Amino acid sequence: MSALSDPPTMAFLCRVDLQLSTGKLAVQCAHAAVESLQRAKKTHSRMVQRWNESASRKVCLAVEDEAELEHFLQLVQEASLPFAVVQDAGLTEVAPGTVTVLGVGPGPRHTMDSLFRNLQAYE
Amino acid sequence: MGFRSFLHRITAPKFERFVSSSQPLKMVFVVNHELKMGKGKVAAQVGHAAVQATLKSGELRPELLDAWLSTGQKKICVKAEDANHIESIEREANQHQILTSKVYDAGHTQIPSGSLTVLALGPDEEEKLDNLTGKLKLL
Repeated sequence: MSALSDPPTMAFLCRVDLQLSTGKLAVQCAHAAVESLQRAKKTHSRMVQRWNESASRKVCLAVEDEAELEHFLQLVQEASLPFAVVQDAGLTEVAPGTVTVLGVGPGPRHTMDSLFRNLQAYE
Repeated sequence: MGFRSFLHRITAPKFERFVSSSQPLKMVFVVNHELKMGKGKVAAQVGHAAVQATLKSGELRPELLDAWLSTGQKKICVKAEDANHIESIEREANQHQILTSKVYDAGHTQIPSGSLTVLALGPDEEEKLDNLTGKLKLL
């Protein structure tokens, strides 16, 4: 498969049940992106390079609650993809330590697509 | 310690610390409010901006990036009226030597291709950034 048809992807799995505001959600995803990237640089540096050179594809997906997020965390760990769990400091909207977003990747698009095929885009 | 390492240690320039730990740092995202993007869309765009800003500051101002990464990576999201508004903020930021990264959308979903969606500022000192974006509303 060529690099073009299979651009590396980063995914954000966001909890729907927390009902975060747009700005809050955006910042949480930014945390996830930076954190996952920093880790991927050490362990998946070629994937990071390909991701930067392509469109740096990112998708934002919805998960129901913390249990579902943890279920996917396990799958991601089994697939040995880079990831970052974002816990909020709890200064504004949610309780301290609440898990808000799971950032995954950058990883191969087909792997990500098959892992997350049942999830809907976050509206 | 070998002789060469010893020589290096006494002759190499000291790594300059421009950042005092007392000065809080943050990264600010200015989102184009005119486009009416969905939540997930905004989140992904801000993710792009954060990554770009991180990589850029890693090249140009590594001391700021390190300090920001190790102090909780404060991030703020505010809204601007339209693309012109964002560009005027960018010009002002450049005058104050604040790092900026702009994100343009590829237009696969929701909005026209090439739209300016987010401007990332920093990481830089909170005070400097507040002068620029303090008046903008939180998203």
